[in-house]
Amino acid sequence: MIDMQLLISGIIFGLSLGGIFFLMTIGLSLCFGLMRIISLDQLLYYSIGGYITYSVSLAVGNIWLGVLGGVIVGGLAALAVERIVFRRIYDRDLPFTMITSFGVLIGGVGVIKYFWGLVPRPVPVPIDAQVFIIGTEIPVYRLVIIGIAGLVYVGIWLFLNRTIIGKAIRAGTEDVEHVEGLGINVYRLFTITFVIAGGLSGLAGGLHAPLIMVDPNMGLEVLAFVFMVVIIGGLGSIKGTLVSSFLVGQVVSIGSLIYAPLAQMAPFAIMLLILLIRPTGLFGSQMLKR
Amino acid sequence: MTNNDDILTVAGLNVAYGESKALFDVSMSVRASQVVACVGRNGAGKSTLLKSITGFLKPTSGSIVSNGTSLVGLAAFVIAGKGIKYIPQDKKVFSDLTVRENLELGSYASQDYDWAPVFDYFPKLKVLMDRKAGYLSGGERQMLMVGRAILGQPKLLLVDEPTEGLAPSIVMHLRDVFKELAKKTALVIVEQNLPLVCAIADKVYALKEGRIMAELTDRASIKPEACEKYL
Amino acid sequence: MNVLRWWWGLLLAFALVALVRVFLPLPFANEIIIFSIYTMGCNYLLGRIGFISFGQPAYLAVGAYATAFYLFYFGNNPYVGILIGVLAGIVVSFAIGPLFVRLRGDYFALVNLALAVIIFYLMQKVLAGITHGDNGLWFLTSMTSTPVLDLSRPDQFFIFAFLVAFALWAFYKYLDDSIFGACCLATKLNEDKVKFLGYSSFNIRLFAFVIANTTTALAGAMYAVYLGFVSPEITSPARAADPVVVTILGGVGTLYGPIVGSIVYTGMKDVLSKVLGNWELVIGFVLVFIMLAGEKGIWGTLEPLIKKTFLRVTGNAADRGGSSR
Repeated sequence: MIDMQLLISGIIFGLSLGGIFFLMTIGLSLCFGLMRIISLDQLLYYSIGGYITYSVSLAVGNIWLGVLGGVIVGGLAALAVERIVFRRIYDRDLPFTMITSFGVLIGGVGVIKYFWGLVPRPVPVPIDAQVFIIGTEIPVYRLVIIGIAGLVYVGIWLFLNRTIIGKAIRAGTEDVEHVEGLGINVYRLFTITFVIAGGLSGLAGGLHAPLIMVDPNMGLEVLAFVFMVVIIGGLGSIKGTLVSSFLVGQVVSIGSLIYAPLAQMAPFAIMLLILLIRPTGLFGSQMLKR
Repeated sequence: MTNNDDILTVAGLNVAYGESKALFDVSMSVRASQVVACVGRNGAGKSTLLKSITGFLKPTSGSIVSNGTSLVGLAAFVIAGKGIKYIPQDKKVFSDLTVRENLELGSYASQDYDWAPVFDYFPKLKVLMDRKAGYLSGGERQMLMVGRAILGQPKLLLVDEPTEGLAPSIVMHLRDVFKELAKKTALVIVEQNLPLVCAIADKVYALKEGRIMAELTDRASIKPEACEKYL
Repeated sequence: MNVLRWWWGLLLAFALVALVRVFLPLPFANEIIIFSIYTMGCNYLLGRIGFISFGQPAYLAVGAYATAFYLFYFGNNPYVGILIGVLAGIVVSFAIGPLFVRLRGDYFALVNLALAVIIFYLMQKVLAGITHGDNGLWFLTSMTSTPVLDLSRPDQFFIFAFLVAFALWAFYKYLDDSIFGACCLATKLNEDKVKFLGYSSFNIRLFAFVIANTTTALAGAMYAVYLGFVSPEITSPARAADPVVVTILGGVGTLYGPIVGSIVYTGMKDVLSKVLGNWELVIGFVLVFIMLAGEKGIWGTLEPLIKKTFLRVTGNAADRGGSSR
């Protein structure tokens, strides 16, 4: 059957891919939960994160600084978009916001093309070292990505459960009107959530950049996988996003070991299967209507 | 007409949901520590009136003034921040949060972290602090909703059908609480339970099909039969 | 008056397309007319059912590949090819419709995109033995000339495509005026109330889904015949949102929106990529601007203006006819 070493490196590969997916979709999921928007423009902040990492690491020589820059610029871009565009359309229905966010994504891709051109750019891997796990050589960088994704999950969990803003966000996920009725400025909550989401997407892009080449369409390339992760996990559920990110990561990675074209197909087949059984995904709430 | 001492003055209020009008030329006034009741059948526009006052619906015309400042066009959270709190009918607490977290949100919004008055009114909440609000009974939820709203000493509480579907003993408890609350804050209560209304109200507005049919201001004339004939 | 009004709409669209044909090169005109057929399905789903689909290329590919398989392996009559493409569209939409239409709107959008991706990889990799992968299927020269309208000649293809588009407009117009059209709109506005009236919202959605996606498959079949070539590129995820963008540009739910949107979109893409080399930038910002400005699109804004002008002209005529106004 499959070689043991291949399998282990496949699992690690899948976990790191899942980590990237998780960082990218957690923002989407939070935004859907609180504001009931499907924010496709998160994929733009992902691309921005990748490109900032590229530019900063080229200028300064430190890739981690680049990733940090990606998070910051991703968050700032999200702040600007939220203030200029989304603030005006929160009360519109879902297709409307979804199309608008797609317009932002496409326009943003145009901006990236304007600044950085069409040619894919390579970003060096910050950690070249390898470690041996059960006799298999594993790049340390992949383990670092898994670690960062784990830390972010813990951080988000603490933020949502231990801080008052986080509690307000959880309450708003259930019923925004009641939160507003208490006298809490929900628009500030929206902005905070959106910026966090943008920053995490930027982080995902920055961390992913060394593993792929950054190119203007990098956001559109992962679009389908991101969609799939949120569908399988259920829109608006953090736990579901975590589970389905790593599920999809593993399916892609192990699937490609068995039969290469399966890597892209299998997750979609699984998604259709899950939707047949549960139309709102694994952890999605049944009654998300406003 | 507008009196600056009034906690709330509504004049010529018209509200519509898209094409269908829900309120026609509604006027009302509430003074400090007055209990005002709105009675009417389902669909008479009572909840619409409360939602317009609290900023969740935008009126098409008319004025809503509180202590000399207009509330029309303000966001709901700003109005709540002015001490005008709304307790909706749906009894939806944040079910994924504990009772404590529900109260914390109320405190955060009003910057009032003293929960002693809440426990004075509803000692039962003390026992339930770490339970998820989703597991509370209907009566306990209503207690939590009222408790959450009275943090920060609101000057005006708007309560939408507080006793609907609750056990009689809890209704009695709530009635006593409202009587007690009325010493410090003005109350507008929308209610179908006429005996309860008549027991606590200083003024009654009867609504029918979006219009005010009658205004009973005389304590002596506020009787269930008197209200009944306008419905 | 009613009859006059709806004929006026069709004539106006007719005139617009004729203008395009006269003033612009033929490939451009053909592109536009197929694109507008392509968009009609998406426009119907979004405007009448309220479902947004980011996966229309999936159904485009179904039609295109069914036609391509026939023309490459079995026969060489383009009319039969198109017919087979349409049949494939009906079969596929009936097969997956029941699963898709019971989903909530947000999931519907995402699932359709996923389907487009599945079909993309299916055609590119998994079935590469039959589809020749990225190289695509070429059958331009193997198509026979047909009597009456020779589809293998671009100028005659245009006439055929034009007639098809015309028939589809009439069909969608008819749908809008029928009970079914009213039910569709009602489902979009309030699903529960439609159920109370005794209609099955599931059936309404299913039929709308089938109609819209069969239209899309027809567009795919026509692409295949027109280009004489089909490759997986047709369902590439990067182009998934094209029909949605065109729908918005033209105006959601307006009957003539698809053609106006197609002209503008194809034109913009052509001109901008030549001048700026960066059409995404403009399309993206135009899209956001239109959404913020009121989602009515180009046609949605123009229509009342044209109507006003038109009514002023006829209104004056009516005045002279002796009405007391």
